[in-house]
Amino acid sequence: MSQSQQGLERLFKALANHSELIAQAYFNGVVYKDSQNQRALTQLKQLKVLVNHDADGYRVTGRLGQFIDSALSSDRVRRLDTDLASWIDTLEQQIGLYQDALNENRTADCDNYSAEIERLVFDLSDTLEENTRYLLMLVNSRFANVRTLAEKQKQNAFYISRLEKLVNAISSLQPEFLLEMVEEQPVIYALLDQQLIRLLPIYQQRLQDILDKLKIFLFELRQIEVRAQLVQGFAFFLQQNQNYQPQDWSERDNIPEHWNQIKPLALFAYADPLDHALEEDLIEIAQKIRIDTEVMLAKQKQRSLNAVTLSPQEKQTLDLPLYRKQLRVYFERVLKNEGQSISAVAFQQAFVNDIEPSIWLSCVLNEWLRKQQRNKRLQMDLIQTDVGQRFSGNKKVTDIVLKSRGAEG
Amino acid sequence: MFDQLLKRLLQGEFICEVSDETGFRYLQDPENAAQVDTFLTRLDYRLSSTQNQLAFYAAYRTIDSGARSDIRKIFQQFRVELQPVVEWLDMMMSCLNQDTALSPGDTLSFSSLLQVIEQNQAMADRLQTFAKFKDFTSGDDSVKGRLEKLLGTLHKWGYLALANRDTLIYQVTGKLDYFYQALQFIQEHEQIPIEQGETDAIQESLF
Repeated sequence: MSQSQQGLERLFKALANHSELIAQAYFNGVVYKDSQNQRALTQLKQLKVLVNHDADGYRVTGRLGQFIDSALSSDRVRRLDTDLASWIDTLEQQIGLYQDALNENRTADCDNYSAEIERLVFDLSDTLEENTRYLLMLVNSRFANVRTLAEKQKQNAFYISRLEKLVNAISSLQPEFLLEMVEEQPVIYALLDQQLIRLLPIYQQRLQDILDKLKIFLFELRQIEVRAQLVQGFAFFLQQNQNYQPQDWSERDNIPEHWNQIKPLALFAYADPLDHALEEDLIEIAQKIRIDTEVMLAKQKQRSLNAVTLSPQEKQTLDLPLYRKQLRVYFERVLKNEGQSISAVAFQQAFVNDIEPSIWLSCVLNEWLRKQQRNKRLQMDLIQTDVGQRFSGNKKVTDIVLKSRGAEG
Repeated sequence: MFDQLLKRLLQGEFICEVSDETGFRYLQDPENAAQVDTFLTRLDYRLSSTQNQLAFYAAYRTIDSGARSDIRKIFQQFRVELQPVVEWLDMMMSCLNQDTALSPGDTLSFSSLLQVIEQNQAMADRLQTFAKFKDFTSGDDSVKGRLEKLLGTLHKWGYLALANRDTLIYQVTGKLDYFYQALQFIQEHEQIPIEQGETDAIQESLF
């Protein structure tokens, strides 16, 4: 195992063994020395995981802090590295060292400096990419990470000032001279050209766009503040004045612009017959329909299915039953012979042969009940027999005698 | 795009980023907006937008008696909407625990609002007061039923759009920009006192 591999393993072990201390330093901003953690803190400081915060405290190094922020997608306000000039200076310095090593044929050093240059370029590219993406997220969510209006305004103002510095810094950079320095080293030239020189204007434009959005949002935030006051004040006013109605601004000579909206042109499959405004139109349409219909009817073939024939139906005369004819004769005779009692049984024996006496009596009784509603002159006497079951409540009728009383009777 | 957009404008709809993102982007292009306006001119209409250009709508080019009659109806509807919408905006500030009023693009989750209101009797009472407005009377007396009615009516009026039908996520539309504009106009021109005095605030808190 090489020395650098051993160093990496030692670093990872330390990170794992002292994860609680590192987390405490990250979340609280500082971790203080005591009798139990003194040794661990010293080791972490040696490994450049922690740095001094004050005399007794330690904090997470800037780079590790940024890495954790990024890994956890933390909403912490990230530091925008506006010191691009010094970054370029470092790069220039590393290129100089690389060229010296190259001229002196120190191959190992060349490789190290080349790797360092590559790391610097990618670091710068990553930082710009991450920051622009994070800023875009903040702007698009309208600083949803903070709740209050004051906080939103504070964050907005903060990022505007930082972005302005960053945009200005990129604009003032003249990194082309770096390319001139590495003209004879095509690998480094391509690296600088593709990963830095070409990308800087893109990032500059992107940051400028974000800056413009932030400025618009700052303006909107001021409006939001006014709106919040307006809503709360109006709600309070309406609670105090429940019957309030705004003045009829639609009746003014100059109607305010915002109420100038067209009446929706609604399309329905049918007309509303209750809408009086449509009355004349509907009449006009209805008249057209009548004319059209006549024309259409003239062309239509007669449909046999729906035809109605008017031929008179054959009438069928139903004869009265015989017993009803005989009853009619009996009752006519009674009515004709006023004051004369006529026995139903005697009439039956004389003129009716087909009906049993008991059925005949039932028919006479039923007919009398029906007729006496209209003719009160018909008087009936029931001729009963003593034969029968006593106390049964039943009466046995042997004859019915009808008599028609006179008008004076 | 052109025909669909025109149909929506002629139906009196507000075209905003929430209700019709593609249509809104289309109208943001001055050339496209000019084409739509030219077409509307033939009907004696024109393309108009809210004060912050957050929504487009069709307006009358000439205000004659017919147009005036239609505008009167629009204004009558605004009168109907005024009190409940103000009350809703104020209530949402309390519900969401925010010191900012809703803006176009903001989202409202039905389930989150329901949770807040069910856990807060004062909010539930406040929701109940919406029943005094004709369009908010609900057959269902539960908090859920009332909240459904509230958001449903605001959706029908065009202040909310349903962003997700399954999770019932609503989004505030650009029509609210028009409402704020009208509200501010009334406040300024009718001198409505919107600054609550300290005494009033104290008095209110005592109740």
